[in-house]
Amino acid sequence: MIKATAWLRALLAALALTQGGAQAAPPPLPADPQGVVASLPATSPHWVWVNDFVFPHMPDGQALLVDGDSGRFLGMLSTGFGFSRVVLAKDGKMIFSPETYFSRGTRGTRTDVVTMYDPAHLAPVGEIVIPAKRSSNMPMMGDVELTDDGRFLLIYNFTPAQSVTVVDASSHKLVGEIETAGCALVYPTGARSFFSICADGSLLNVHLDGGGHATSQDRTGHLFDVAKDPVTEKGVRVGDTWLFVSYGGVMYPIQVAPDGGLTPGAKWPLLSAAEQAQQWRPGGLQQLAAHAGLNRLYSIMHRGGPQTHKDPGKEVWVYDLANHARIQRMAMKNDSGAIQVTHDSKPLLFSAFIESTTLDVYDATSGQYLRSVEHVGTTPTILVTP
Amino acid sequence: MRWLDSLAESSTRAVARHTSRRGFLGSLGALLLGGAGVLPLLPVARGAQPPGPGAGASPGAAKPDNSQDPTSCEYWRHCAIDGYLCGCCGGSQNTCPPGTEQSAVTWVGTCHNPADGRDYVVSYNDCCGKSTCGRCLCNRNERDTPLYAPFESNDYNWCSGSSKANIPYHCSTARIVAVAK
Repeated sequence: MIKATAWLRALLAALALTQGGAQAAPPPLPADPQGVVASLPATSPHWVWVNDFVFPHMPDGQALLVDGDSGRFLGMLSTGFGFSRVVLAKDGKMIFSPETYFSRGTRGTRTDVVTMYDPAHLAPVGEIVIPAKRSSNMPMMGDVELTDDGRFLLIYNFTPAQSVTVVDASSHKLVGEIETAGCALVYPTGARSFFSICADGSLLNVHLDGGGHATSQDRTGHLFDVAKDPVTEKGVRVGDTWLFVSYGGVMYPIQVAPDGGLTPGAKWPLLSAAEQAQQWRPGGLQQLAAHAGLNRLYSIMHRGGPQTHKDPGKEVWVYDLANHARIQRMAMKNDSGAIQVTHDSKPLLFSAFIESTTLDVYDATSGQYLRSVEHVGTTPTILVTP
Repeated sequence: MRWLDSLAESSTRAVARHTSRRGFLGSLGALLLGGAGVLPLLPVARGAQPPGPGAGASPGAAKPDNSQDPTSCEYWRHCAIDGYLCGCCGGSQNTCPPGTEQSAVTWVGTCHNPADGRDYVVSYNDCCGKSTCGRCLCNRNERDTPLYAPFESNDYNWCSGSSKANIPYHCSTARIVAVAK
């Protein structure tokens, strides 16, 4: 009885407190406006586009935008079947996305387009119909690139006949198609030039006229040994040099001469003899990244045999491109299959892996881990920074 | 595109070695979708585990012989396959599931059949026209080349190009083409 009385007293006190509190409560919340849609501020150099071809549901490609500073998910694009990646206009005013659609979802008439999105609203503002030939493959940066001045969009086709579709990114019109028989992907080298890599280890050097039509196509000699130790197609560019690494970890620089010629630079190893003996090797889908200002190269590394050239790694090795010295071994928080750096003076390094949906963010200068962003996409492939 | 057919056939005979494609995603479907087949060795597992003597073997563990089971990733014909096994998707090792179409152009491997001791050239024709099957994803990714060497590259979707099969990827067959010479 004593306990029950105490309980009743406490209840009455609580009721009194509640009634008293109601008098001091703030005014009720106002009704929310209807139909408001967020927009984005000016692009930050620390944003990253996580491209995702959504392998379990390939008609539903996505490009997901994340702020590396805050870890905030900013929005996304729906980018159709067999998606590779977005391309950001040099002036930042447009997002170009080569996309494939079927009239009945997974069947019917195939239509390929370059969809143009407004960067502030992530909404389509137009499209350019292109030949329904764009390659469906594991996404690579070389699937689509802009010429150095941003004027022409170059899109790799595989039917399996090989060619490159040229789109005028200024007038938003299809220019035409350049045959690249035996050679794949696009690597820009100037305002009116690019090369493709050929199956025999040579390069196809293509020059364009002011209208985007090919004026010359020349093959170099055999620069890579495809049978013995092929370079991957995952090259990165620093200034006038393209850097391609072989399965075994040998760097093959390709120098672009002022006249547009292509010449091989001196090869250099990413691995010491001891590291080779321990079977360290580069791996991943987007295994290299480079920062021109720091003059640094970043490479995902793992230990594995010759068949593991696409495997992820738990380390990123950092090299000084001036002397090819390794200056750091970054320990990655999670398996890394794709890395990308931002291009500003205080760069971030982003890391993703296709079998995970976690995006990790690092300080690209110190190598320090900063943060992770969870649940980004389904099968994140390659990363694109402004 | 007859030349493509002849190209594929000549490639079949000339290459005659293990290739596969979409190797990078070999384990993905099984991971995400619960593939019914034997799980392939994850890239992550390979990357995280330093190689050493006997790496990959399981000393003392009796390993079942699945080399004659067409729904197993270890089926002898699958030595260079990378994709969803059509045998788990309503078809078989040489038949596309109902309502799909078989790609004419493909990539090839050479596989050893322990049952008769012969090596065979195997063509991994894709079945196309529906979304991904999602069952029995199998990755045996050997001697894969980059995209610029297409007929040995595991990174292309071969449901591309021909007028009949220029449509989404569904699953992969493993057809015997000939005894390897």
